[in-house]
Amino acid sequence: MITTIVNNYPKIPSLSGGPNIRRSMAQLDEGRITLDDLHQVQDEATKDAISEQVKAGVELVTDGQIRWDDGQTYIASKLNGFSISGLIRYFDSNTYYRQPVVDGKISWREPILVKDYLFARAASERPVKVALTGPYTLAALSEDTYYHDKRALVNALAAVLNQEAKALAEAGAEFIQFDEPSILKAPADFPIVKEAMSVLTAGVNAKLALYTYFGEAGELAQQLFSLPFQVFGLDFVMGPNNYAALKSFPGDKDLAMGIVDARNTKLETVDEIVAAVKKAKEHVSLDRLYLNPSCGLEFLPRRNAYDKLVRLTEGAKRALEVLV
Amino acid sequence: MTTGLLTTSVGSFPKSPYLLQARNRAAQGKMDQKELHELELKATKEWIQFQEELGIDILVDGEQYRGDMVTYFAEEMEGFGISGLVRSYGNRYYRKPVATGPVARKSAITVDMYKYSQGLTSRPVKGMLTGPYTMVDWSFNEYYPTREAFVMAMAEVVHQEAADLEKAGAKYIQIDEPAVSTRPDEMELAARAMAVVTKGLSAFTITHICYGDFASVFDKLIAIPVDQFDLEMANSGYDLLDLLKGKNFTKTLAMGVVDVHNHAIESLEEVKASIRRGLEALPAERLYIDPDCGLKTRTVEEAKDKMRVIAQAVKEVKAELRIE
Repeated sequence: MITTIVNNYPKIPSLSGGPNIRRSMAQLDEGRITLDDLHQVQDEATKDAISEQVKAGVELVTDGQIRWDDGQTYIASKLNGFSISGLIRYFDSNTYYRQPVVDGKISWREPILVKDYLFARAASERPVKVALTGPYTLAALSEDTYYHDKRALVNALAAVLNQEAKALAEAGAEFIQFDEPSILKAPADFPIVKEAMSVLTAGVNAKLALYTYFGEAGELAQQLFSLPFQVFGLDFVMGPNNYAALKSFPGDKDLAMGIVDARNTKLETVDEIVAAVKKAKEHVSLDRLYLNPSCGLEFLPRRNAYDKLVRLTEGAKRALEVLV
Repeated sequence: MTTGLLTTSVGSFPKSPYLLQARNRAAQGKMDQKELHELELKATKEWIQFQEELGIDILVDGEQYRGDMVTYFAEEMEGFGISGLVRSYGNRYYRKPVATGPVARKSAITVDMYKYSQGLTSRPVKGMLTGPYTMVDWSFNEYYPTREAFVMAMAEVVHQEAADLEKAGAKYIQIDEPAVSTRPDEMELAARAMAVVTKGLSAFTITHICYGDFASVFDKLIAIPVDQFDLEMANSGYDLLDLLKGKNFTKTLAMGVVDVHNHAIESLEEVKASIRRGLEALPAERLYIDPDCGLKTRTVEEAKDKMRVIAQAVKEVKAELRIE
């Protein structure tokens, strides 16, 4: 059983002190610091995000996506064929992102996340995974003014993200995760998803994960588990019925369980976490489980995010004592 | 007051630089609350005067004393704490209310400001409340077992406040529910809560809802028990009007005709065309004209220009169509 986080971690410290990206970005706007200065603060904040995960006991960490404005623009702005437009609501949350607009043929220009991965790996005493938005969700959250065809757009994105994943794997990334919350919202598009996922994963020499969140897989579950990934992430907080989907979980795949609510400050109890693991254990062996928050932690203040991770690792530890 | 194409606004107006500076200084403890409050009253008076001079029919106080529409109420209530900072987008952060116990009013929250602003004008000033669904959706919940329980408890509190506003003389009470648009599947819950809020009130009740994917739940939307819907239209191509045409819609509509997210001021002809479109769907007596949403994110001059173009366009359309 491995504890991990889904993708992002809150960017600014709860108490004063420590690198503060919010302050630095304001200072950059006022011309009081340079872009290099900001990057340095981002590096320091990334180190803090990693060391807080390690301190909380998380075994597989991310760089916290401290440099990302949001899950879409950080990727899209470094691909050819995209421009970035106005603010738009992110799912049903009270947060916003700038909408990418597809206005030309999409192509891969240069590695997007390799440098960040190498930085995080050097800064972390624990294994680092790379998480990025998958082709279907990136397409769903963008405005398409060029392809006018969802299948063509998703396939084009799958091809460039495949190049990115290969570059990451060549740089040494052993665990690459694609976040696809949008596929839960349009089960009828599964044929498009299926085709894109074989393009996305072809020839990538790393452990690959497909994460969904903000809901339940429902009827889609069995088809999802047939896709070419080793790890499948499900959100058991916003999708409590996902436990039912585990009946059909393949014995040779790994399950990542979102079991602490990353969108609410209320702390789960150790017993609740143990009970969740126990339910999953009926269908998936413990050595095939990852435990993580239900989605990215940036919906929470930094202190609450840290407390959630501490509780998650306490729960995982207790589950091992009780259930093995 | 005339009887057709009445003009109003959604609630907030931008804060002048002097007030923004004062709020910063007060937050840093460099200005006492009394001094800040004096400036808030001054700013309120300026906006009331502006609306009067422009000939707006139903006024708002401009919410010069509110930061955030949810936190403002939560801070004045029992049962709420305030969280650490969470990011909304880019470099924007805010604090979220956290329900930690049963929610209740300590005393009336908005009545004093209502009385003050109504005392400045002979035209009606709207009482402005945040609806129970939005209060809940934009808060963390560490106390209530379900969202429903939290929403229905909040509805009682908002009802008490609305009743106090009515007692203080408010003829128009607006209960904003921008969060409803993010989760159309909970429209029914929002409507049930609104029934608690508006029960027994004789004042004219309004709800403002931001744009969302309403087509599938439109019948439930227009069943929300209020006298008027205030809907964003300029930002959404007026397609809600087409939905209205096919329905047995007997309430009144306040139609947004300027986009609050855009710096550019709409042309007079553009706004007149929008009003004429509205008149194709509803008679002048049941059609009110206003901006899409609160104007607080615009500069003072932009907000004033947007109100000016509304006032002028309504005046010209009324003259052309001989509407009193």
